[in-house]
Amino acid sequence: MPAGALLLALAAGPASAVSGPELDYTLECAGCHRADGSGTPGSVPALRDSVARFLAVPEGRPYLARVPGAAQAPLDDAALAAVLNWMLVHFDAAHVPAGFTPYTAEEVGQLRTRPLVDVEGTRKLLLQHAATTSR
Amino acid sequence: MKAQRSPGDRWIDHLVENGARTLARRTSRRSLLARLGAAIVGTAAFPLLPVARAAEGDARLPAPSDAGLAPDVGDPTQCTYWRHCAIDGFLCACCGGSQSACPPGTEMSPITWIGTCRHPGDGKDYVISYNDCCGQALCMRCRCTRTEGEKPVYYTSKNNDLLWCFGTKSRAVNCSVAVVLGVATKS
Repeated sequence: MPAGALLLALAAGPASAVSGPELDYTLECAGCHRADGSGTPGSVPALRDSVARFLAVPEGRPYLARVPGAAQAPLDDAALAAVLNWMLVHFDAAHVPAGFTPYTAEEVGQLRTRPLVDVEGTRKLLLQHAATTSR
Repeated sequence: MKAQRSPGDRWIDHLVENGARTLARRTSRRSLLARLGAAIVGTAAFPLLPVARAAEGDARLPAPSDAGLAPDVGDPTQCTYWRHCAIDGFLCACCGGSQSACPPGTEMSPITWIGTCRHPGDGKDYVISYNDCCGQALCMRCRCTRTEGEKPVYYTSKNNDLLWCFGTKSRAVNCSVAVVLGVATKS
């Protein structure tokens, strides 16, 4: 259920059930990225309508598993892979490339061992590259 | 030495005098002063009104809401209220807001920390978002410190000792709310 619909459902009656990767996202990511993935301009990047743009360039895929919020989340590799796959489709299906191969636990396990030193700089470069690629 | 007045000066004197007398005949001095004073004070005070600031904030970032969530149990002005299992701060329900709404004149922080609390009625674990309300001084009423599921400060995303006024216009924290985001269930 989209987060916006979740809030509408809350306004109408009993709380909605949250489970699986959506629950992990809510508990470990939504505090900053917000339940609807909208982020906070100037403070926290939005995921909604944005996060899958990183998949347009080869370096973008590892980046998503290496950002501090993902790599350091208290989730095991399988759970983190599931959250990433859920997030991409849930928040930004339009930018998920055709033939996208979901993250696996093994892949995520390897990626999260390589710390991302310059998160902001890397993010900026990747988005510039992605914008060029999509033209 | 007395200054000599020229014919041009007298002409200006007459003009000003006539204008002042005409104004005085047509208007009440009291009403003029009242309107002028209100305009000056109102213009200066308008940007300071906390409601105006908070309204701008709300338009920028819609706050989470669980209005209408039912049924609920317990007293949200008490630390023992079920949603407060990991709250650290002054309860907004004692500060002019509620367990899920900020007091007027404050802005709910969009960045927060999230945990779960068990509902005593149905035994389910509910996902709770602890949002600080920002923009006014500390409320100083109903101070609570509960730590279920809290982690040390080096685990910042799960620590409630921090002031969570991030992404808000003001960093001044007033009180804290506990908003229900959903029911945690096993997949």
